[in-house]
Amino acid sequence: MHWDREKIKTILPHREPFLFIDEVIEIDGTKKLIASKNIKDNEFFFEGHFPGRPIMPGVLIIEAMAQASIILYYICKPEIGKTHPNYYLGKAKAEFLSPVVPGDKLILETNNVKITDEAGVVDALARVGDKIVAKANLVFSIKRNG
Amino acid sequence: MKNNYEEEIKTLVSEIIEVPVEKLEPDADFFKDLGVDSLKAIEIVAAFEKKYRMIIPEKDIPNIRNLRQITEYTKHLEKV
Repeated sequence: MHWDREKIKTILPHREPFLFIDEVIEIDGTKKLIASKNIKDNEFFFEGHFPGRPIMPGVLIIEAMAQASIILYYICKPEIGKTHPNYYLGKAKAEFLSPVVPGDKLILETNNVKITDEAGVVDALARVGDKIVAKANLVFSIKRNG
Repeated sequence: MKNNYEEEIKTLVSEIIEVPVEKLEPDADFFKDLGVDSLKAIEIVAAFEKKYRMIIPEKDIPNIRNLRQITEYTKHLEKV
């Protein structure tokens, strides 16, 4: 299982520099999805966070987890996903365990806790190598267009 | 046991929707009276499923609109 950015862009409305998924690596039915993002030296947020000491902001790790979760939602609810609904992050309960820096390959794993037509709950993990760098429980809602 | 279960459910719902336990009437409608939206509703469902190791089918969620219904509904599931 491998999805590239072009396929990901057919599902996610996000675009550079705010697209935080490079690849989908693994899909376990409707239960789990694993995606990745290579953290490059020239990411826009490193310019100010922080000058001379680049660290990926934790909120953007949550954003990356949320984007992976949208793809998981699409897999669970393709008929709704295909209508390109609006996705809203409603709640995030997160822990940040280790800094993410340029050169890291961020692995994003999102697990289906409950997904319905209107909303979703997921438990997500972010790893670099074998090390867990962040964990989050995310609650999001879906509003269909039209 | 029965009362404990009902109290447990009340506490769980109270924590998620941020309404004090004493203000949670058994027949108060989650959506109309208690301001529950789709996000809070799915949080309640997810918390139930996790705590009591049960699955609440999506089609049943819109029919569970107050504490009394959720207590009755989950009792029924326990029997299955």
